[in-house]
Amino acid sequence: MDMKRDYYEDIQLFQSGVVLAWTVALLLVLFTIPLYTPNYYVYLLNIIMVHVILAVGLNILVGSTGQISLGHAGFFAIGAYGTVLLMTLLQIPFVFAILIAAFIAAFFGFILGLPALRLEGPYLAIVSMGFGLTIMHIIGGVDAFGGRMGIKAPPLDLGIKQLGISWILKTDFQKYYLILIMTIIMVVGARNILKTRVGRSFVAIKDSDIAAEVIGVNLTIYKTLAFAVSAFYAGIAGGLFGFVLGFFDPFTFNMILSIIFLVMVVVGGLGTILGGILGATLITYLQYDLLKNIAEIPYFGALMVAVSKQWFTMVGLENISSMAIGLIMIGIIIFEPLGMFGVWIRMKKYWMTWPF
Amino acid sequence: MIFRKKVLILLIAVLAVLLIANAAPAATLAGFDDNEIRIGQWGPQTGPAAPWGSVARGSKLLFDVVNEEGGIYGRKIKYFIRDDMYNPAQTAAVVKELVERQGVFAFVGGVSAAGGLAVKDYLAQNKVIWVGPATSVKEYVFPVQPYLFSVYPLYEDEASVLTKYIVETLKLKKIGILYQNDSYGKNGFDGLKQRLDTYKMSLAAEIPVEPTEKDLASQILRLKSSGAEAVLMYVNPTTAVIALKTAANVGYKPQWVSSNTLSDYPLMHKISGGLWEGVITGNFGEIPDSKNPLMVKYKEAAKRLSPEERWGTFYSAGILFADPIVEALKKAGRNLSTEAVLKALNAIKDYQTIGPKISFTEKQHQGSDSVVIQKCGPNGSYIELQGWTANDLATWKK
Repeated sequence: MDMKRDYYEDIQLFQSGVVLAWTVALLLVLFTIPLYTPNYYVYLLNIIMVHVILAVGLNILVGSTGQISLGHAGFFAIGAYGTVLLMTLLQIPFVFAILIAAFIAAFFGFILGLPALRLEGPYLAIVSMGFGLTIMHIIGGVDAFGGRMGIKAPPLDLGIKQLGISWILKTDFQKYYLILIMTIIMVVGARNILKTRVGRSFVAIKDSDIAAEVIGVNLTIYKTLAFAVSAFYAGIAGGLFGFVLGFFDPFTFNMILSIIFLVMVVVGGLGTILGGILGATLITYLQYDLLKNIAEIPYFGALMVAVSKQWFTMVGLENISSMAIGLIMIGIIIFEPLGMFGVWIRMKKYWMTWPF
Repeated sequence: MIFRKKVLILLIAVLAVLLIANAAPAATLAGFDDNEIRIGQWGPQTGPAAPWGSVARGSKLLFDVVNEEGGIYGRKIKYFIRDDMYNPAQTAAVVKELVERQGVFAFVGGVSAAGGLAVKDYLAQNKVIWVGPATSVKEYVFPVQPYLFSVYPLYEDEASVLTKYIVETLKLKKIGILYQNDSYGKNGFDGLKQRLDTYKMSLAAEIPVEPTEKDLASQILRLKSSGAEAVLMYVNPTTAVIALKTAANVGYKPQWVSSNTLSDYPLMHKISGGLWEGVITGNFGEIPDSKNPLMVKYKEAAKRLSPEERWGTFYSAGILFADPIVEALKKAGRNLSTEAVLKALNAIKDYQTIGPKISFTEKQHQGSDSVVIQKCGPNGSYIELQGWTANDLATWKK
C-alpha cells in the first residue's frame, strides 16, 4: 500500500491527492475552530499545540534516534524563561527572542548530548533527569529570573517596538493563530528533517550505533545534533507556553512534566510525526479536561466517586486520573507497541481495503 | 486479533460516550440559579504538594455543613474541587474551565502562589469573586483588587508578632534567623527586623538558605557560634527538619520559633523524629482540639461527613478561608448578584469564626493581621501560648 518507487516519491509532502484533500480539510477546520468554540477550549487547544511541538521534537530524539530524555522540562523552561527575559530585560522583539531562546535551548541540548555519547539507557535517563532538575533550581536561585516566585510574561507583541510597529496579541483567540502557524511550520520541519540524510542518520543510530558508525555516520555529530534539534523544539514550545500562561514559576517545569512528555511520545507512537501529535493531544486533553471533570459526567461520575471513596485514599477522584494515565500507558505497551500511530495505521488499512 | 478489534471498538465507544457527555453545555453561566450557588477551588490533590490538598477538602466540609442546614436562602452550594498538581498551567486551565463551562460564582482558597498569580487577572476580568487564598502573597491585595479578598496573615506581620513574644515574654535577647531565600523567607526576615528596630536590638545571626539545600551543617554552626538563644525559621518543612537534626547533632539547643506554614505538629513531629517538641509557631487558626464551640461543631461534622480525613490545621484552615464568602452570601440576601456579595464582603467587620477577626473595607482587602502562638507538646500535641495577637506595627494599616 505505502510502497515507494523512488526517492522523490518518498520526500513528497503529500503522497496523493486524497492526502492533500484531507490535509486541506483539516487545516480548514483548524483555522476556523475558534470561531465556533468557547474561549475555554481555545486555551486548551493552545496548550495542546504547544505540547504537540514539544512532543514532535522529543520524538525525533526518543523515537527516531533512540536516545532517552527525562529532562525536557528543562529545555521547555529555557525556552519560556529565555523568551520572556530577552523581551523584558533586553527589549528584543518577540520573533527574535523566541528564536534566540530556542537556540540557547539547542546549545544546552548539545551539551547534554555530549555525555550521551558514552551513556545509554537508564544511565542517560539519570543524567537527563539531573539536567532538568538542575535547570529548574538554577532558575529558581537567580533573582533576576524572578526567583522562586516566578515571572510575568510581557504583552505578546509581534511587531518591533524599536521601529514603532506594534501588533499585540491579547486574547487566547489571537494567540491561537500564532501558535497554530508555528505548530504547522515546526511539524512540517520535523517531517522534512526525518526525510533527509540527517534523519536517516538518526534512524541508523537508533537501530545500531556501531553499525551506523561503520557505514559512515559520525556519531559525535549526529547524536549531539539529535539532542540539539529536540531541545530547539522544546525551546520554541516553551517560548509560546510562557505567553499562553502569562505567569509561571520554576516549579512549573518539574520532573513530573518531563515524564508526562515522555508518556505523550510513547502513547502516541515512537518514531513517527503523527505519533507525537496524537500522543500530545490525547494526554493533554485527558490531563487538563476529561479526567478533571469525571465527577460532572452523568451516572459514570457518581459511580467513580463511589468507587474512589470505597477503595482509594481520601484524595478522592484524583486517584482515578492518575490511574487512568498509568493504565493507558501500560495498555499501549502491552496491546499496541506502536502507540496510537499503530491504531491509525490499522484503521487506515481497514478502510483502504474495505469491504474485504 | 478479532478479540483485540472488539476490545478496541469497545474502548473507542466508551471514550466517545464520555466525550459527548462531557461536552454537554452548561445550563447557565451566571454562577448561581434558584437551586444552587457554584463555588470552586483549585489545589494540589496529587503530585509533590499533595499534603496541602486538605485545604480544599476542608472547605468542602464547611459547604456540606451549610447545605445540611438548608443552604443559603434555599440555594445549595455546589462545590467543585479541581486538582492542579501545583502547576500554574493546570491552575489556569481548571479555572477557565470552571468559569466558562460550569459557571462558577466565586472561588475560595487556592494553595499555590504561582497558580494564584497566573489566574488573578483572569478572575478580575471575568468579575469572579475570590476569597481567602491559602497563601500569603502581597501582590494579591496590595494594591487592592476589587474581587479578591485575603484572610491569610502576612508573613511579615506574623514574624513581628513572634519576635515580640520572644523578646517580651520569653525574655530572650540574642535572636538569629534562618530564612529561605525567596519572598516567603524575606517577608519573615522583614517582620523580624522591623520589630527588633523598635527595641533597638540587632540580630545575632541572619542566615539565608536555599530551599533545596540538604546539608545545613555550616549554617547551623554559624548560628551556634553566634550564641543565638532563639532562632526564627522561615523555611520549608524539609529544611526545618534538617536544621533541627543537624542542631541536635552538634548539641545546639536554642528556642526554635517558626511560621504557620509549619504548624501541622503531628506531621512535623513525625518527620523530625520527635525533635519538633518544644518548637513555637504562629498559626492562622485555632488549635485542632480547641474548645471554641464552632471548632467542636466542625470537628463533629468532620467525623460524621468525612471520617477518612485527619482533623488537622490545614483541613480546618480550609473552613476558615471559605467562611467569609458564606457570611457574605447570607448577608447579600435573597436577590443574589456579584455586586450584592461584593458589597457584603466589603462591609464585613470584626467577623470571627475559627480564625482571626476579619475586616474588609473597599480600600482594604487584607482581612487580618493576627496570629495565635502555639507550642508543640509531647507526641505532636498543641499547647496554646497566646491567643489572637495583632501586629501593632503592621505597615499596611497606616
